[in-house]
Amino acid sequence: MEKQAAQLTQTIDSILAGAGSLLPELLLALFFLLLVTLDLFKSKTVKRLLPWVTLTGLFSVLVLLVLDRHVAEVQFLNLLRSDGIARYAGILFSLTGIFTILLSLQNPKIEKRKQGEGRGEYYALILMLVLGLNLMAKSVNLLMVFLAIELVSIASYILTLTLKEEKRAVEAGLKYVLYGTLSAGVMLYGMSFFYGLTGSLDYTLVSFWRSLLDASPLMVTVAAILVFAGFLFKISAAPFHFWTPDVYQGAPMPIVALFSTGPKIAGIIVIMRFVAAFADPTIASAFSDVQLFLGIAALATLAVGNFTALWQRTPRRLMAFSSVSHAGFLLMALLAFGSDYTVSVFFYMTVLVFMNFGMFLFLQMAEEDWQVRTLEDFQGMGPRIPFAGVLALLFLLSLTGLPPLAGFMGKLLVFSNVWEAYTATGQPMLLALLVVGILLTGVALFYYIKIPYYLFLKRNQTDKNLVISLSNKLLLVFFALPLLVFFFKPDLLLHWIEKLLA
Amino acid sequence: MNYTLSSLIFLPLLTALVVLLMPTRMVRGIKAVTLGGTLLQLVVAVWLYLGFDGAAMANGQTGYQFVEKLDWIGFSLGSLGRFQIEYFVGVDGVSISMVLLTGIVGVIGVISSWNITKNVKGYFSLYLLLMTSVMGCFLALDFFLFYLFFEFMLLPMYFLIGMWGGPKREYAALKFFIYTLIGSLFILIVMIGLYTSVIDPEATAQQMGLIGQHVPASLDLIRQVQQMLQQGTIAEADMVRTFSIPAMMEPSNFIPGSLLHVFSGVSLFDLPLRFVAFLLVLAGFLIKVPSVPVHTWLPDAHVEAPTPISVLLAAILLKVGGYGLIRIVYPVFPDAGAYFSTFVGGLGVLSIIYGALCALAMNDLKKLIAYSSVSHMGFVLLGLASLTNEGVNGAIYMMFSHGLISAMLFLVVGVIYDRAHDRMILNFRGLAKRMPAYTAFVVVAFFASLGLPGFSGFIAELLVLLGSFSAPEATGMLPRWMAIVAVIGLLLSAAYYLWALQRMFFGKYWIFPELRQKAIIHDLTKREYLMLVPLAVLAFVFGIFPHLLLDKTGMTVTGFTELVLRNGQEQLNILQAILHR
Repeated sequence: MEKQAAQLTQTIDSILAGAGSLLPELLLALFFLLLVTLDLFKSKTVKRLLPWVTLTGLFSVLVLLVLDRHVAEVQFLNLLRSDGIARYAGILFSLTGIFTILLSLQNPKIEKRKQGEGRGEYYALILMLVLGLNLMAKSVNLLMVFLAIELVSIASYILTLTLKEEKRAVEAGLKYVLYGTLSAGVMLYGMSFFYGLTGSLDYTLVSFWRSLLDASPLMVTVAAILVFAGFLFKISAAPFHFWTPDVYQGAPMPIVALFSTGPKIAGIIVIMRFVAAFADPTIASAFSDVQLFLGIAALATLAVGNFTALWQRTPRRLMAFSSVSHAGFLLMALLAFGSDYTVSVFFYMTVLVFMNFGMFLFLQMAEEDWQVRTLEDFQGMGPRIPFAGVLALLFLLSLTGLPPLAGFMGKLLVFSNVWEAYTATGQPMLLALLVVGILLTGVALFYYIKIPYYLFLKRNQTDKNLVISLSNKLLLVFFALPLLVFFFKPDLLLHWIEKLLA
Repeated sequence: MNYTLSSLIFLPLLTALVVLLMPTRMVRGIKAVTLGGTLLQLVVAVWLYLGFDGAAMANGQTGYQFVEKLDWIGFSLGSLGRFQIEYFVGVDGVSISMVLLTGIVGVIGVISSWNITKNVKGYFSLYLLLMTSVMGCFLALDFFLFYLFFEFMLLPMYFLIGMWGGPKREYAALKFFIYTLIGSLFILIVMIGLYTSVIDPEATAQQMGLIGQHVPASLDLIRQVQQMLQQGTIAEADMVRTFSIPAMMEPSNFIPGSLLHVFSGVSLFDLPLRFVAFLLVLAGFLIKVPSVPVHTWLPDAHVEAPTPISVLLAAILLKVGGYGLIRIVYPVFPDAGAYFSTFVGGLGVLSIIYGALCALAMNDLKKLIAYSSVSHMGFVLLGLASLTNEGVNGAIYMMFSHGLISAMLFLVVGVIYDRAHDRMILNFRGLAKRMPAYTAFVVVAFFASLGLPGFSGFIAELLVLLGSFSAPEATGMLPRWMAIVAVIGLLLSAAYYLWALQRMFFGKYWIFPELRQKAIIHDLTKREYLMLVPLAVLAFVFGIFPHLLLDKTGMTVTGFTELVLRNGQEQLNILQAILHR
């Protein structure tokens, strides 16, 4: 009894000690509750305020994370770890959340719906999703990872269905739920294997992997593959990417933009923490099968994403496969064990946020204002929208990875890490990834350039200028500027990331 | 510091900004501003050419003049130590000729664009962006900077062909973009490999605290750092990795254990990794040159591009390929350059003969000239592969002279296309009767291109042939038959030019009936004289006074061949010893 009481006080003490590190999450949860409560009021003024309340919440979390003076690592009950990685990821998630809401405010379908219908839950769910993302980035425990991923998933399922009067949204939502629950089940199954083999759930520790050394290698590989199935599903990597094009086609554009960045970044961080133990070469060599699986997944993701994108006829599906290919790049980056790749990966993901949101904003304008459904609909529009057209070109070239845009810098850093890891280990897999990754950029250009190709090279009869609202113009510039700045001065961002991670 | 080179690079960019800020309907104003900007660039280029001291290297100075070096991007990547990208530009004998050429052709191109009517603002801003990136490419001494300009060149070109081109312009523009992008991706792979393997000894000395920040290192200190590097006594965190091309040219700057180090012993497909890297960059630049068998984008691009863009493409953009070979490929991989010289020379000879044969078979005058470009660029490869002073000087001379002459050739084609909206050789006969002055310029251009003594093309071909003929004794490169086969290429070029001349311009005046309604055949206008006369005069001047250029390039080329042969032989011996162990 005495012992139990002592243990209890100890637990409470550690909860209290660690609670401070969860301030951003608590704040998000608070605003979530606030939003749900506010949604109960029928007043139009209150309804109009909802997005701004959400923005306030996300912005305060962002400020909190940026200005945080805590540099030390805080652990919460072996479940959540608040370190530099989680902090920078949190900043990224707040940004994606803010951007999603900015895009939603520009989206007539979401804003101009019958007053009040579903707006409250829409914004509340975005907060919930960001909360889940933060938890994903912080978890160091298999069970916590599962819970966080499920939190994100449930929010995602409902957000996909926002425009439930549209058939494609319903189809997308159903497919997403089916694939999602399946992969969650598979992942949980794999986690149970790990628990059985090690008796521990803290997978970030080197000791977790050491205790796996005695287990049958086949079992470990199978368990790892099962767990990775869940992770790869979240980052839409092959062969678990089938939901991507359908969901991208059915969900509202701001949500698609969010899916293409937030959960992908969180998933990558989860994998990053999972394989962190492989930085130790003795451990890495013992689990070469797991690495081989990841390498093949990265190669397959790169190939599937880039080649399938070639045949797409709608901008949404094109961007879906583009996001698959970026998942491949990020996976590749994670395999460069031994080289310090965290900074490069974060740089790449930051750039990815800006280029994806910029591009999706452009596509949202195209879809809502100019009734563009397929790539052919862009025909000859370039001269009518010179400003937006040129900025779209910037986003697409950055996605391709051409200089002078930050996408190129991101790729250059990732490739340098892979080259360095290849120099150190001589693994042929890394060389294959490097060469394939670089050469697929050529393929990527082929499909990304399709939009400017229709915009500028194809001619159309009408020459009337289309009007673009000032807020949209400003947002486009806002997303494009960092792409130029981070190309010419990447050290600004790199130094900052480094400082946060140190 | 002297900012001449930066002004050369950024003058067009500034002009482009001015153009973008002007109202769209001020068509004449936009044209005038563009012309003013390019003229100013030409003036600076000529001033640079006059100020460049061709004999400086002989006085024991380093090869680069007007150097500007600024820290641009510097960051540390964890265990990889520091990375450093510099804004590093300078001229030597190779680049000075290309800078002069770019200046000249830039102005001619604007004059030739005077009758562009569609979206004038967009056209001239893209044109000026292109000029910036080409100039930057020729002046950059930092690989990253070079690559930035090299890649950025594709974008304006894609739109210039794709928006203002002929009927199949979309296809041609895309083909151009994809082909050259694949080439530059090959270069990117090697660039990553190189910069992770090479340190900047000066910056490393500063990082180690041997000297203070921003203090230039003495030559002895640099040697000391290089020795320490090779002995492995420099900590990983102190190594400052660099993109500087001069640093990459020095074998002792390679980090021991890095894959591209001579001693690395790593091989891929039974070739040392250095050789594989050489082949990759070679392929990247050969696409740009272009050499057979990766030349197929060129005829398409030329046929569809509007006249001024064809002029730029042939006169300057192709030169970037050859320039890259001289600036990067051979000095950084001299061992592989020596090893593969027969292969490169063989591709050159193949391009000469195959290009000429294709030109012979063409009915479209513009395609004929496009293939003649392929054939002439073959001489650049052949001269370079010989690694003799004559050969390399000839290669540079060929690039310069081909720049002038091909500009003239494409302008000449543009003239007939303006008149008749057609350029099929068989649709015209006896044009000399109606257009005597035009015919005179066509004859000058054709003869200059086929290598008539008195024009610059002759000097270039003579030097290349001398170099490749003497190569077996002088440097041990290239079998003798290559020079002999290349001479056949000269004969063929005489054949296709003279045949075209005879069919189109001599005999009784006749044009194809269907063209008669639209065609308005008249002789050259003042604007056309303004473009053709300077080019013809320059081709003549550089044909009579070759020392105007050779005095500038000579010392650089001597340094280049010595470096490549000396380092190449040493490293080749090491590589072969490792391979056959």
